[in-house]
Amino acid sequence: MEKDTVISHYIIDSQEDEIKRISNELHEGVGQTLYSVFTGLEYLEGSMQEPAMKSYTAEIREQLSKTIQEIRLLSLELHPPSLASSGITAALKSYLKLYTSTYGIITELTSAGNERRLLEKQNIMLYRVCQEALGNIAKYADANLVHMKLNWEAEKVIIEIKDFGKGFDIHTGLAKRSGLAAMCERMELIGGTCLITSAIGNGTLITLSLPY
Amino acid sequence: MENQMILQMLHDLLVDVPCEFGAIAIQIPKGSDVKWKHAAGNLNDKYKRITLRYGKGIAGRVISTGTPIHLDRFPDNIIGRDLEYPIMLAEKLISAYAVPILLNGSAKGVLLVGRRVKKPFQLHEQKAVRDYTTKLEKVVFSHD
Ligand SMILES: Nc1ncnc2c1ncn2[C@@H]1O[C@H](COP(=O)(O)OP(=O)(O)O)[C@@H](O)[C@H]1O
Ligand SMILES: [Mg+2]
Repeated sequence: MEKDTVISHYIIDSQEDEIKRISNELHEGVGQTLYSVFTGLEYLEGSMQEPAMKSYTAEIREQLSKTIQEIRLLSLELHPPSLASSGITAALKSYLKLYTSTYGIITELTSAGNERRLLEKQNIMLYRVCQEALGNIAKYADANLVHMKLNWEAEKVIIEIKDFGKGFDIHTGLAKRSGLAAMCERMELIGGTCLITSAIGNGTLITLSLPY
Repeated sequence: MENQMILQMLHDLLVDVPCEFGAIAIQIPKGSDVKWKHAAGNLNDKYKRITLRYGKGIAGRVISTGTPIHLDRFPDNIIGRDLEYPIMLAEKLISAYAVPILLNGSAKGVLLVGRRVKKPFQLHEQKAVRDYTTKLEKVVFSHD
């Protein structure tokens, strides 16, 4: 491996380890503790007689419940707890559900062929690249609809992310910022490829390919 | 119909302030998620599918803090990432002002107004929006 590649792997791996640690801490640590507090409040509320105190407690309980919910979603965005056990398709499915309710953009996911178990690193890199592509769509595409297709072929998996938005000029897009370039670099680091095609007025298609 | 009345109030607001977009997010029924229920001047219907994230973005933060928020030139000078501001992205807003709608003293809704050009909301415009919520508080929760 080239020296630069070794360094890129190292930086990404340590970042991902850190993100995973924070995500787990939120989900298992802080989230669980808050849940115990929530149960305690519920108990207190039940034994309260005074209506004003009771409704004040109910108000706090509701805030707490929303905080717990937001922590769960944050953890899903950071590093889905079930990525290793349930695989990339399931992880993307829950992410898309959250994406639609966050941005109001309708998503459709289809998966064809037999899903293979991927390495943890491949899973997380695919997840990140899809997140970047979806984030770009929410920010720039002006699209109401996204189609995501997973094709589990004999030798490789192909993931297509198609938006039906306004499209852009890839050369100016690549020159402007580094999100698109980083998507391709991430795919290359795990031995895959990333192809971006876009036409003004005709939406954008991102095609990821990863050999097993 | 209350909905018709609220929509008319939003349209009046757009003319009075003036601004290009106005929307109301509320929690109905009590205890559920907060969603955008009414909008005027919208570019698309994304707002209908959006559920506010507690404490995030302009509207989510208005709910969690109970105080008004002014963004003068999105995405500059914001707290957090631009991706945490779905309604700004969906409606291509640059300047926006959002205020809580109160039910029994706590923030159970948001009134948001926005512009698609960089034109911050002046103090008297902000006051006009806040005055509107007093009227709205009487009607938005009535079909609870
Ligand atoms: N799906 C898309 N639809 C329209 N334009 C896009 C899309 N994805 C990227 N772009 C354009 O490409 C540019 C670069 O994107 P990116 O490298 O991800 O940078 P960033 O997201 O940090 O602005 C964006 O500023 C935008 O103009
Ligand atoms: Mg980007």
